[in-house]
Parts: sequence; structure tokens; C-alpha cells
Amino acid sequence: MLWALLGLGAGFTAIPLFTESDYLLNLGVQLFLAVALAQSWNVLGGFTGQITLGHAAFFGLGALVTRTLWGNGVGILLAIIPGILVCIAFSLLIGGLAFRLRGDYFAIGTLALAEMLRIIVGNLLPGISTIPSTALTNYALLPRYYLGLALAALVVGVAAALARSRIGLGMQAIREDEAAAAASGVGVLGHKLLALVISTGLAGFAGGVFAYYHASYYPQYPFSPLWSFEAILMSFIGGVGTVHGPVLGALFYTILKEYLAVRLVEIHLLIFGTLFILIVLLLPGGLVEVWTRFRRLVHRGS
Amino acid sequence: MALLSLENVSKTFGGVMAVKSVSLQVEPGEVLGVMGPNGSGKTTLFNLVSGALVPNSGTIRFKGAPITGLPPHRICRQGIARTFQLVRPFLGLTARQNILVGLGYGCRPLSGSAAREKSEELLASVGLEGLGDRPASTLTAMDRKRLDLARALATSPDLLLLDEFMAGLNPQETSEAMGLIRRLQARGLTLVLVEHIVWALLELSQRIVVLSAGEKIAEGPPTAIARDPRVVEIYLGSIPFP
Ligand SMILES: Nc1ncnc2c1ncn2[C@@H]1O[C@H](COP(=O)(O)OP(=O)(O)O)[C@@H](O)[C@H]1O
Ligand SMILES: [Mg+2]
Repeated sequence: MLWALLGLGAGFTAIPLFTESDYLLNLGVQLFLAVALAQSWNVLGGFTGQITLGHAAFFGLGALVTRTLWGNGVGILLAIIPGILVCIAFSLLIGGLAFRLRGDYFAIGTLALAEMLRIIVGNLLPGISTIPSTALTNYALLPRYYLGLALAALVVGVAAALARSRIGLGMQAIREDEAAAAASGVGVLGHKLLALVISTGLAGFAGGVFAYYHASYYPQYPFSPLWSFEAILMSFIGGVGTVHGPVLGALFYTILKEYLAVRLVEIHLLIFGTLFILIVLLLPGGLVEVWTRFRRLVHRGS
Repeated sequence: MALLSLENVSKTFGGVMAVKSVSLQVEPGEVLGVMGPNGSGKTTLFNLVSGALVPNSGTIRFKGAPITGLPPHRICRQGIARTFQLVRPFLGLTARQNILVGLGYGCRPLSGSAAREKSEELLASVGLEGLGDRPASTLTAMDRKRLDLARALATSPDLLLLDEFMAGLNPQETSEAMGLIRRLQARGLTLVLVEHIVWALLELSQRIVVLSAGEKIAEGPPTAIARDPRVVEIYLGSIPFP
């Protein structure tokens, strides 16, 4: 199954060789951001079972730091790294506190923290953020496209490596049963913090790519809770806690959203909300589960 | 030197003394049985030894060193493993993955092909051969118990705490479970057993500790315990010792 992901990556690397369509390249960047958001959420929420509603806070922080540095003349690649580091530092600061909360309280607590941050940013930086005029005149989509692809590849690669590692198994054990995991030798708090650091650091990277990509936006926009909800939606639609699920979910979500937005404007959230509820109730394994069931059927048939 | 020793260990839950100043020792290679009516503090005692709970007072020593207040994963890595009264396998993981958690994080961590080989060996040793790829959620109640035991054994413990391993088993399964426990004992593993099936406990244990309302009220070899008037009293005079 990993070959499918590698093939997908190769396909996306090749697309710009065949088309210069701005439409497709823009859709590509949106897809890569969606993959990164969903998969980074999945490390903490899916593998480790810590359902956070505050993921957007780190997407926003990464965007804020990177945009500020880049606007002040720091090269984009160099500006992304401090964005990631600030996210990691902030997550460690709140992690010890947030992980005292369990289940629903953790979900609500992380949402409250993220909203506080969004409101603070909105008050301190009410004006629109525009990229430097030199960057605007030289604006090219291709570097955005490839940076986004590199981001998506990194995030999926990290998730795949984690899924095959001992530490990833420890995280999954914590998701299933904290007490039994601890009794089997898994350090619960340490693993949760590691999942948080990986998840938020990658979300910060995604924020940096967002800052590089968008010509102008309100600084509080990437802090919007909608980014968190979308990440969760995509993970669950595709298959939460798997490596392929969030990628599949992001593909499905981005393409369908684009299709619906052209025709039905704002109704896509309603449709995805309904889909989310149906999947949680009827198909907890998501689209990946449909695929495995299909394969089992085919195996039995042959 | 005792492998495990408790000195005046107490635990209260909001005014209720679940464990009252209990002292006891477990010798290397020994099988110690703990009995007592429901609510007498047996599970709490296991929770204190395994670090799931921290005692209000008293000292717990393992291999001579105090482990009181250490987090459960550190206590596990020092060589104490447990099973749960209500079994708690990782339901979303396969049987093999359940065991790999114990193998990867226990006292003598294994990885890669060594871990895989050992996991097959453990699956077979508890009677789950061929079920490694099955999600734990699809296993029967008895097989989940076997898996919980295999997960605990995977951490390579020197001391294993079994909490009502035989509860809810039919006679056939009970005798299988006794066979399993005897094999662990024969391998030289030190065991502490909590069982409600009193005859089985008396048969398996070399020494018995009796708890009542959190207090240790008797201690001795099974034959003496079965005749102890205080023990007979709390069990309403009905110990079905064959
Ligand atoms: N986590 C807990 N919180 C509050 N009370 C508890 C807790 N665990 C056990 N107890 C209480 O402690 C006493 C001993 O319980 P337990 O150790 O489970 O007994 P046993 O295993 O011998 O049946 C009971 O009164 C029980 O209600
Ligand atoms: Mg009990």
C-alpha cells in the first residue's frame, strides 16, 4: 500500500511538466496543505487518540512567525524553521496542562486555547497582511507548488515511519487503553508530548507554506477553528489512525469541495458534516476500510 | 532477600481505607495467593504494587530498592507485570501488536525480527497460535484473557500479578488456566494470585494471605488457612477445599 503513496507523490511531482494551468497548480497547493493538516492532526488525534480541536492554533502560529520573518527579508526556507520551533515550544508549554484533561475535556480545552490565541492575534493585528511588493511582482506558483508537495511528502513520510516504529505502537497502545499501556512499560505522558510535538511542528510547517502561498489574508484567518474541523473531517472520512486515510480523505475532500464550491457555494460544509456523521456511525474505518473490505471480497472471489 | 516487600502500606479513597497498613513479603520463585471477599482491597493492593495508585503511607520495595511512588511504566521496566481483573487488551490492535507493545517496552526490550519471533512463541505459549493477525476485539473472552497474560509476559517480568484470572471461566477453561499458571510457576516465575475460586487458589499457592476490609487477617500455608477459624468465618464457613 505504501507504493500507492509513492506513486501518488511521483505523479504530483510530474504534473507541472505537462501543464502550466494555474488552476491545477492552485488546486495542488490546497491539496498539499489539506494533506499536511489532516495527517499532522492524525498523529496526535488518530495514532495517539488525543482528539484535539485546537490544531489550527499551530497552523496559525507557523503562518504568523514565517510571514513576519519573510516580510522582513528573511528567506522563506529560513523563515519556516522558526515557525516550526515556535509551535513546538508553545505546544510543550501548554502540553503538560492540556494532558491533565481527558476525552471531551481535552477536546474542549484545546479549542478554548486555540480560540483565545485567535482572538488575541485578531486584536493585535487587525489589518490585512500583504506579501512584500517585490515578492508580489515576482510571484510564481511553481515554487509554492513544490514546497507544498515537499511538505505533504514529509508529513506523510513521518506518519508512515511512525506507524512502523515501536514509538508509534506505544502511541496506539495509549489510544486504546492508557492504564494497560502504562502497565506494559509505555511512558504515557512522554509519548503524548512527543506526538504533540510532531503534530504541532508539522502543522507549523504547513502554516509557513500557507504564509508563502497566500498573497494577502488577515493574520487571524489561519487560526480559524475551521482548519481544525477540516483536518478532523478529512482524517475521519479517509480513515482515522491510518497512514493512507488522511491522504485519501484530503484528496476526496479537496476535490469534492472544489466541485461543490463551483456549483453550490457554501453548502459544502453541510454536506461534509453529514458525511462525517454517516462515516462515524456506519463506517468507523473510513474510506480505507471500504478499500480493505473490497480487497478481501476480491481475494475470496478469486 | 524478598523479591517484593510491603511495609505498612495504606491507601484511602475519600475516607474509606481500602488497604490498611498491610505488610507482606514475596520470596523469589514463590506463588503467593491473596484471598478475601469482594471489596477487601485485593485489586487496590495490585494497583499500589504496579504503580497505578500511590499509597498514602508505607513503603514498597522490589529487589530491595524502594519503588513507592514510581510511575507504572518504570515499575514495569523494573520487572513487575500485571493482568487486569476486567481484561484490557488493546482492542484496536492485533493480537501480535498487543504482545509487541510488551516486548518493545518491557524489561528486556526486543525489536525487529527478534520481537516477531518472540511474539509467535508467546502466542503459542498461551494457546493463541495462528491468531496473531486477528484484531483483539474479535477474540473470545477466554482468548482475551490469554492475550492479556501474553502481553504481561512479553515484558519479561520477574514478578507477575494475576488479578482473578479465572473469573468467569467454565470448568474446562478453569483447568486450562490452572495448567497455564502451573507452567509459569515451573519456569521459576514469581507469582501473586488473586482468585475468587478458593479451591483453585489453595491448590496453586504455596502461601496464602487473607485480606478483610483492607486488613491482613491471616497468612500461612494453604492447609492451615483452610482451617483458620477467622478465614472460615469471613467465608461463611464454606470453603469447598477438596
Ligand atoms: N479508584 C477507586 N476510587 C474509589 N474507591 C475505590 C477505588 N478502587 C477501589 N475502591 C474501593 O476500595 C475498596 C477495595 O476495592 P478493591 O481493591 O477493588 O477490592 P477487591 O479487589 O478485593 O474486590 C472498595 O470499597 C472499593 O469500592
Ligand atoms: Mg478486585
